[in-house]
Amino acid sequence: MNQTIQIQNQTFILHPTGVMFWEERNMLLIADLHLGKVSHFRKHGSAVPQEAILKNFEQLDTVISFFNPSTICFLGDLFHSYINNEWLLFSDWVSKMNSEILLVVGNHDIISPRKYEELRIKIGSELILDNFLLSHHPEEREGLFNFCGHIHPGVLLGGLGKQRLRLPCFYQKENQLILPAFGEFTGNHTLKPTEKTKIYAITKKEVILVHQ
Amino acid sequence: MTQKELFNITESWFEQQHWKSFPFQKQSWKAFLQGKHGLLNAPTGSGKTYALWIPIVLYYIKNNPDYQTKHKKGLKAIWITPLRALSQEIKQATERVAEDLNTQLTVGIRTGDTSQKERAAQRRSMPDLLITTPESLQLLLASKGYDKTFKDCSAIIIDEWHELLGTKRGIQIELALSRLKTISKDLRIWGISATIGNLEQAREVLLGHQSEALQNSVLIKANLKKRIKVKSIIPDEMETFPWRGHLGIHLLDEVVPIIRKSKTTLLFTNTRSQCEIWFQKILQRYPEFAGEMAMHHGSINKETRLWVEQAIRNESLKAVVCTSSLDLGVDFAPVETIIQIGGPKGVARFLQRAGRSGHQPGKTSVIYFLPTHAIELIEASALQQAVKHNTVEDRIPYLNSFDVLIQYLTTLAVSDGFYPKDIYHEVKNTFCYQAISEDDWRWILNFITKGSQSLQSYDEYKKVEILEDGLFKVNNRGIAMRHRLQIGTIVSDAVLMVKYLKGGYIGSIEEWFISKLNPGDVFTFAGRNLELVRIKEMKVLVRKSSKKTSKVPSWMGGRLTLTSQMSELLRNELYTASSSQIKNINTQSVELKSLSHIFERQRLESIVPGPDEFLIETFKTREGYHAIFYPFEGRFVHEALGSLLAYRISLLFPISFSIAFNDYGFELLSDQKIDMQQVIDNDLFTKDQMHSDLQKSLNATEMARRKFRDIAVISGMVFTGYPDKMLKTKHLQSSSQLLFDVFRDYETENLLYRQAFTETFEHQLEEGRLQKALERIERQSIVWKSCKKPTPFSFPIITDRFSREKLSSEKLEDRIKKMVALLTKK
Repeated sequence: MNQTIQIQNQTFILHPTGVMFWEERNMLLIADLHLGKVSHFRKHGSAVPQEAILKNFEQLDTVISFFNPSTICFLGDLFHSYINNEWLLFSDWVSKMNSEILLVVGNHDIISPRKYEELRIKIGSELILDNFLLSHHPEEREGLFNFCGHIHPGVLLGGLGKQRLRLPCFYQKENQLILPAFGEFTGNHTLKPTEKTKIYAITKKEVILVHQ
Repeated sequence: MTQKELFNITESWFEQQHWKSFPFQKQSWKAFLQGKHGLLNAPTGSGKTYALWIPIVLYYIKNNPDYQTKHKKGLKAIWITPLRALSQEIKQATERVAEDLNTQLTVGIRTGDTSQKERAAQRRSMPDLLITTPESLQLLLASKGYDKTFKDCSAIIIDEWHELLGTKRGIQIELALSRLKTISKDLRIWGISATIGNLEQAREVLLGHQSEALQNSVLIKANLKKRIKVKSIIPDEMETFPWRGHLGIHLLDEVVPIIRKSKTTLLFTNTRSQCEIWFQKILQRYPEFAGEMAMHHGSINKETRLWVEQAIRNESLKAVVCTSSLDLGVDFAPVETIIQIGGPKGVARFLQRAGRSGHQPGKTSVIYFLPTHAIELIEASALQQAVKHNTVEDRIPYLNSFDVLIQYLTTLAVSDGFYPKDIYHEVKNTFCYQAISEDDWRWILNFITKGSQSLQSYDEYKKVEILEDGLFKVNNRGIAMRHRLQIGTIVSDAVLMVKYLKGGYIGSIEEWFISKLNPGDVFTFAGRNLELVRIKEMKVLVRKSSKKTSKVPSWMGGRLTLTSQMSELLRNELYTASSSQIKNINTQSVELKSLSHIFERQRLESIVPGPDEFLIETFKTREGYHAIFYPFEGRFVHEALGSLLAYRISLLFPISFSIAFNDYGFELLSDQKIDMQQVIDNDLFTKDQMHSDLQKSLNATEMARRKFRDIAVISGMVFTGYPDKMLKTKHLQSSSQLLFDVFRDYETENLLYRQAFTETFEHQLEEGRLQKALERIERQSIVWKSCKKPTPFSFPIITDRFSREKLSSEKLEDRIKKMVALLTKK
């Protein structure tokens, strides 16, 4: 079950996988995929299960066939580290895409921009669309609403009987919305709710508004 | 030289020292010179070092009659100690013999503290006796040409073997010995152990399952009887004695006269934080002790610890507040009195601590027991019984720990490489891996070479390579270096160094504690109040502060539980206060009598159960609905039983639990009322299906996940590096938690993932004990008391805010929505 929200008269759909769809622009926003992380670990002698690699691509295919966006924008940390064989899987995947692909560079994106250009991926340090600033790191800028990643936000919920739950979430402030990390094998960083924040927790099935 | 001539040499040396050799020492010399292996059961301070060092020297003399003029170079013996701190003392004792007998034999130390320069010098020319730790021995196996180093080694002594047995460091020793047996042709293996319940098994683990070495071995017991007297410190005002709490500070005033009366007193606490607090509080209330009192625990820097140890020997200290860091080895003659603060949870540990005082033969050791809360007085009473009947626990060795095996094989691959067919037989002969199957072995070889069981075309896994002639070898320098840094199986949370801004190392602290502080916050550490200035790299920079604070770091490691022996003693003590037996109050111990008012209050709301009763209490508080169960079986069994029962109830209807447990019982806390009649009617305490239900409950809780942490680090899947050597590990940071999740989702048949569950069963939950507990409960009649408010027995359990387990059969989404509804209601 998705959640549809309005920001500055634009419509955004929050999806349980952690992606966000911008309806008016037919654009899909995805943060912190960290492709190549599993392979990077394996290359250095840590035997992380390889199946997790394919899961990332399966998930991508699922959300893309669901939203059918004309543009896909990655909000940084698309690739975890130096180039490795997962790049081949990624190139294959890109070649099957009909959508335009953009990358807002994150701190992990150390692969040469030329490599991306070869795949016809547009790459930049930030992107401004109308009153919206798309970046990897959270930014505050006068007159702009910021969509970003980097934090891998999570939320801690408590209930009666000393119950506690920790979940990844969309974290929305007055002029900013931080997306959860999309990739498998990435962790969460728990953020505290403050006044004027809205928090949408995600489970495998639903997006639930847990704080406002 | 004949044996008699050899013995004459030592006997005359003993006479020069005005000593008389003990029978156990002579037995050890004899057996060693006969070429036997063995296990020596002797306590600290009994002359055990001489029991085994002397025959090593004699053996050298025998083989080198011109030993006084000519020195034959090369490693002759290895002495393994579990604590670096002990190595200095062993060195002094062994050097003394070597010098007095004009042998020219040299003694060297190699531990984590040994400088790079000294290591290099040792590599060129080994000392005759090398004193080292299990980890450093593994590191030697990771260096090229190690077989030449050990070629002429004639003895390896594993000191304090009881401390290593039942830990993964013990397995490291088993594996190292399996290798040395092959490369050192003339090797004698000897262990030294304090008294434990399973000494025979300790010998088998050391020497190998059904091995030749085991057949050619002896078990020698020192049999030095020691009289121990236990005195409980019972407060005059029992009415104000707390029902819970774990510090025991309220009895501080009763402790001071004891300290004043004796030359040197050691105060043992169970945790480092408790140690810090006691130290502070004594000084606050009795400032005259300043300068005469010190603190000793594992996170304080080495220099300070060494200074404290020296000061104890010099008799310049009146009291030392310490933790298990002073349990081992170091012989402190001046110590007259021991005070144990809080339950020691195990008889062996308690006896060992008691033995730290009154070292002179024939003298009675006195140990005071200071209960930190009322119910602990029952423990005190149980300890009295234990000492009387000389009950000691077993140390359970690990089986099939694949993580340690993977680390070991990688170690061999890093140095000279190995051929699996040779190593398989060595490994198979150890106690730990006696049951390893050829399938498991193949799995492990695949794991270290391919990182999986099937080869994928795009995979770039790199660790151990198989060379053309079948040699398994690590060729990548980065992998070799990371592996060397990672060797060692004592896993702790990320540890940060605490330093003054202007320099000066104070100690180390676990990351999770620091992460809760902000710059400017003040905390107590190493007996000082420190202000956090900033965290830089892996260093916590602080300055002294005069501000008062209540923040004391607690260390997660080292939570202790009652052993099954202690639990049984404890139950029997408690039963003397039960409603059915209360008439015989005269036969009760002083400790139990002093608790009578608490028992009375317990009886008002509920009962004090007798041997045939199993007590369940339910009540409601602001926090929700509590159900408390009292098996009195120790924390670990309660953790298992709590999860098992929570799981079984959760099958009856969707419900979420938070589970708390201590040594006396466990609590299931929920936001809905638990229908206890239904629990009883459905026979939820049955031992049928216990294993599979427990397995399922483990999937639902976090226990196995926590075990996996060590496994991931030891097997090299998570790289931790070293706190003081920040390496470039760019993009290799990951938590074992994340890794656990990927295994759960993609590779549940992975042996390391499965090991987390087996270990939880065998070492954490003690499945065998659980089975027995359930059998006992089946014979008891269940007494369910619906109470209006918390009872005295329940209090320590329900107020435990840490170490709670969670289990739920509700839909995640439903739980979230309930929590949100609760929030909006406020």
